[in-house]
Amino acid sequence: MLLTSAAALGAEATKLAGDVDAKGLADAVAKNKGKVVVVNFWATWCVPCREEFPDLVRLEKAYRDRSVAVLGVSIDFQKDLPKVEKFLADHHPDFPNYIKRSGGDDQDFIDAVDPKWGGELPFTVVYGKDGRKAKVLSGKQTYADFEKAVAAALKEKLP
Amino acid sequence: MKLARPLVVLFLLAALAAPSLADSPAIGAAAPNFQLTTIDGKPFSLADAEKSNKAVVLMFIATKCPVSNAYNDRMRDIANEYAKKGILFVGINSNKTESESEVKDHAREHGFAFTLVKDPGNKVADLYDAQHTPEIFIVAPDGKLVYHGRIDENQEQPTKVASPDLKNALNQILAGQPVAKAETKAFGCSIKRV
Repeated sequence: MLLTSAAALGAEATKLAGDVDAKGLADAVAKNKGKVVVVNFWATWCVPCREEFPDLVRLEKAYRDRSVAVLGVSIDFQKDLPKVEKFLADHHPDFPNYIKRSGGDDQDFIDAVDPKWGGELPFTVVYGKDGRKAKVLSGKQTYADFEKAVAAALKEKLP
Repeated sequence: MKLARPLVVLFLLAALAAPSLADSPAIGAAAPNFQLTTIDGKPFSLADAEKSNKAVVLMFIATKCPVSNAYNDRMRDIANEYAKKGILFVGINSNKTESESEVKDHAREHGFAFTLVKDPGNKVADLYDAQHTPEIFIVAPDGKLVYHGRIDENQEQPTKVASPDLKNALNQILAGQPVAKAETKAFGCSIKRV
């Protein structure tokens, strides 16, 4: 019985919040207005994404009570959904993770997120409490990098 | 003159405020020259290559990136097809995590007949501000950059490509036309810099 519950809990943690296109993602960010929102784009095939992901899990735990929300967006192919779910099961993020909706031209998605983004992963966008873009972070970041960007958006001094 | 100074200040402020992300040479700007040794031990100079080819295609590629690897067959085939038409293809590996011997083995495994260089210290990637693999730059014989972007829009299904952007650009160059879609984007693996 205990095993079944644990398995059920595990399965719950692996669930994706759904697939998103650029508009769906903008809506998800807008729903968090009043909070600093950190949106991280990752993929299971991207080694630096996998390396920095635990820092995002840690960041969300540390800042969830200070008006900070984290959203993840997997850029994996639909055929790799099992890999995405396994990755989430391994890392147990306490924040929603979406997968980019398949189809369409990726260039439209990339440009809608940030016109200066070339498509490299990982990529992170920090939105201020007013919903406006506060910072973009290209490539792998450290926990300190994430914290610095979030603190600046919160206009707080680092602890 | 009195008016000019505030304008210059405004311009400088605007430049400072711009995000410091991809800062590649603009389309129409001079492609930065570089000299490296190919994995076959031959000298390679972009300036020399420009003079003797109808265009030079610089391809930032990787051995371990699944996105770059999804394009191995397409890169081999496009390079073979267009080499016959006077276009030179140069694969550039700037990843510090991938050794020259890995680049050689990878090229052999995938039948790459195009020129390959290892870019120690990612100096060429920095010159072009290349961010990921695969990422393509086309240089015209006059040394100007005429295309920057992807191979095509469909990483996952080579048989369902709807926008063969690299081939389109090459066809336009060969026909003496301007490249209609000179900047394109796709997802890729970030270049592992030193």
